[in-house]
Amino acid sequence: MTQGFDPIEVRSRIDAYCAKKGALAIGVADVQILERMSPAGHGPRALMPKVRSVISIGVGGGTAGAWAANAKTLAYVGDTETLAYKVAYGLAFYIESAFGYRAVFCPPDIDPEQGARVPMQSMKLHAEVAGIGARSMAGDILLHPEFGMLYYSSVFTEMPLASDGPMAENPCPHPSCVEMYRKQGRTPCQKFCPAGCLSGTIDADGRTEESCFEADKCAEMSQQYEAIPVMLMETLKAKDPLDQAMALYGPERQAIWYKLSIGAGELLALCFECMRVCPIAQQAPLSNPLKRGLARRKAAEASTEDRGE
Amino acid sequence: MPFGVTQNMIDSYGESIYQLSLNRQRRRGDPVRLLDYDAVEEQRADMGLTDTEIAPRVGLSVDQVRFVRVYLEHQHYRIDQHRKLFHLGGGRRWREDKYEDPADRINYPEAGMRVRAALTFNSAEVARFLTEGLWGEATLDTWANQATVSRPNAPMLIAGKHSMSYSEVHAQVGAIASGLKGLGLGRGDVIAMQLPNTVEFVVGHLAVARIGAVLQTIHMPYRAGDIASLLEHSQARAVVALDVFRGYDLASMMLAERCRLSSLEEVIIVGQAPREARSFWSLAESGTPLDQHDRAVAADPCLLLYTSGTTSSPKGVPLTYQNMLGNIEAAADEFEVTEHDRILSAAPFSHLYGIFNFHMALSRGAAAVLLPAFTPQDLGQAVSIHQPTMLFLGPAHAAAMLGQGLINQRDFASVRFSVFSGASCPTHVLESYQAAIPASAVAQLWGMTEIQAGSFTRASDPLSVAATSAGPPARGNEVRIRSLDGDILLAGEEGELEIRGPSVFGGYLDNQEANAAAFTTDGWFRSGDLACIDNSGYIRLTGRTKDLINRGGVKYNPTDIEALLMQNDAIDQAAIVAMPDPILGEKACCFVTLQPGFDLSLTEVCVLLEGENVSKVKWPERLEIVEEMPLTPTKKIIKGELVQQLKSS
Repeated sequence: MTQGFDPIEVRSRIDAYCAKKGALAIGVADVQILERMSPAGHGPRALMPKVRSVISIGVGGGTAGAWAANAKTLAYVGDTETLAYKVAYGLAFYIESAFGYRAVFCPPDIDPEQGARVPMQSMKLHAEVAGIGARSMAGDILLHPEFGMLYYSSVFTEMPLASDGPMAENPCPHPSCVEMYRKQGRTPCQKFCPAGCLSGTIDADGRTEESCFEADKCAEMSQQYEAIPVMLMETLKAKDPLDQAMALYGPERQAIWYKLSIGAGELLALCFECMRVCPIAQQAPLSNPLKRGLARRKAAEASTEDRGE
Repeated sequence: MPFGVTQNMIDSYGESIYQLSLNRQRRRGDPVRLLDYDAVEEQRADMGLTDTEIAPRVGLSVDQVRFVRVYLEHQHYRIDQHRKLFHLGGGRRWREDKYEDPADRINYPEAGMRVRAALTFNSAEVARFLTEGLWGEATLDTWANQATVSRPNAPMLIAGKHSMSYSEVHAQVGAIASGLKGLGLGRGDVIAMQLPNTVEFVVGHLAVARIGAVLQTIHMPYRAGDIASLLEHSQARAVVALDVFRGYDLASMMLAERCRLSSLEEVIIVGQAPREARSFWSLAESGTPLDQHDRAVAADPCLLLYTSGTTSSPKGVPLTYQNMLGNIEAAADEFEVTEHDRILSAAPFSHLYGIFNFHMALSRGAAAVLLPAFTPQDLGQAVSIHQPTMLFLGPAHAAAMLGQGLINQRDFASVRFSVFSGASCPTHVLESYQAAIPASAVAQLWGMTEIQAGSFTRASDPLSVAATSAGPPARGNEVRIRSLDGDILLAGEEGELEIRGPSVFGGYLDNQEANAAAFTTDGWFRSGDLACIDNSGYIRLTGRTKDLINRGGVKYNPTDIEALLMQNDAIDQAAIVAMPDPILGEKACCFVTLQPGFDLSLTEVCVLLEGENVSKVKWPERLEIVEEMPLTPTKKIIKGELVQQLKSS
């Protein structure tokens, strides 16, 4: 498979590299499946014609402290995609230097030909097909049964790797959510979404029957691409000088200009409320960095004892 | 527009394109994880289509679709939604029913904004008021709440045989405020009130304040002819009035005004309410919840009082809490008011002086003894029964009491402090009053609707000062004297008294002409009062600028002559006004009311003045004996009406 390298060892080295850099979950998605699943022009080959493998990397969500903070703080510090990108960027170089195959860090960006809301590639799709996340009722956010909510990045490579399949079971909806749905007709994520963008039904077996994520409502709150042009339009339309000034400098607007001027990745972005109340995101065995640290420390102690030290 | 896009194309296809593009991810089952390709394909359109996918469906080019989509997105997407976040996290969860968009928190109606817009203060002055603590954050609601918390069972209102505690009044205020809010009234709305000094006035006033509305008072003697222009000018949305007052059907008159004025929506009647009106106390049954956002802030207008002016050009004086409360505190400090005081105002609450007195009681959690309407008998009786510790009077009130011998007949021993205002108090009246109630200290207060308590003598000032002076300026206020030629005068020189400071209002409501006349170019309010200031900064009022007589170029102030005349046994009240003269320009005409059984001639007046060594040029050249003087609600003689009488005669 991988010329001159033991495929198991290659995968092991890739996993080890990513884990060392901070990844919690690694999977390889089947390119053929991705091509069939993706909209025209958005499959992996549209980006890298000779791609053989799509490696999906998942890093943990916010710290325990971030989850305990208020929402406006969490909006700033809850997202960890930068770490995911860093791992992927390094992995692309690592593959090229260690194994001699071309690799590219998949751009986590919009398709400039398709407008502001169409990504070049769906890293969510990569991760799901690679088996390191399954779609939840919370806006199709992927959840991992062990690590909860993850941030994902992808690396495309011409190196052939054995692919992993999707997860056998979807951890969402969690039994407690099913119970709440039966009683109240809503899951926690549906109930506590401030944008009102989540709805859906659960079938008699406790599985997702239908899930609807009105992304436009979520985007109004979290991805304010339209804010700047709207501000400018309001300024142009304002007849009163005070209204004109406030359209640009009003208290609601100042934060947007500030974040724009300092090049913040998002204008305010991502309220995380659906994940704050998600039992999988919050209570999965290793979702909490404190629990992960504890597990690591216990493992280290056990290792020390095994060595008889 | 590019790509051959037209407005019609946007209008026709825009919504379809927008809906197709919407990323409403409707997923049935779990098709991706289960690798159900057919289901993924089938559900693809539910996930929102790309421009490329939309184009063939709508028969437009990809570029046209993109242009139209972006245009529609601009129209659809709301911004500033992120403020919802500020209510979340740290244990708080989203509750749609509990969220309040900041933009919806306060709904200022147009009329409310109009009153607010009239508040124009000098920024440097404001900075000083704030820095020096002359303007604070308290409102009447704050004061009422503080007093209710600290002294819930203490008497707040003493009316007739009844007494109401702070907690009782607080409950009624909340209930009436709830009713007012239930009628759709709130922040910035003007609510007019024509009530005597009763429990309903106080409850109504504080309820209006509780919902952040603005109280417009209307004097009780006013009738349709007086009220119509005031309600029209204030654009009051509601009016609270007695059903009938002294035989006059106020309720019907107010209902007629509501038919005439589109701005007037609600007529609320104390007493027997006609079917078309609401009953005041029925408002208490509303149950409409009040919340924090109903409350006014200190910079909000609290009162809208109408002072002199004409029907075509009323002079509405908006006063903010900041204007008022610091000034009241200053006076209360100087008058050593405590929570144990019982304050009785002879002046009506519809007048600045009257409501100032009630606010003073509120400021200390003291009790207000309510005198619905002044008569000498009623005041004497109220003092005997309720034993007030402080009396706020006008000179005319005191003169009437003295004239009827009521102070000696009744028990005034409880009165420890008496304040005179409403008009410059003749020295002999104040001295006689003090002689009759030796235990009471006296103070004289110079006030106007526009400036509130501009100055007052202090509790520590001896009678000789209080009887002849209006005291130094109230805390934070500054005064100066200017000649009619515009020069700033020195101590002891007489001229027009000008004032600026934290208690001075910010301009008449929608009356630029009046504002231009009232303020100097450097921001001082022209009081229209003649005065001089001594070396200690004490003000002595000497008359009104408009009352000056200009006899052939010799200008003089007739106030001293009036005071001399009123010391004569025959004369009850005297007022000298100018009458036109073809040669000299003006001459003096003296109006008098006589004590019972006396008569008077012009010759006798002249002899009297000659005996007092008054220059002949100042002697009146006409005498008019009248049954009664036209008086303001605070018993001040309205000289303008006397001038009109002269003209019409």
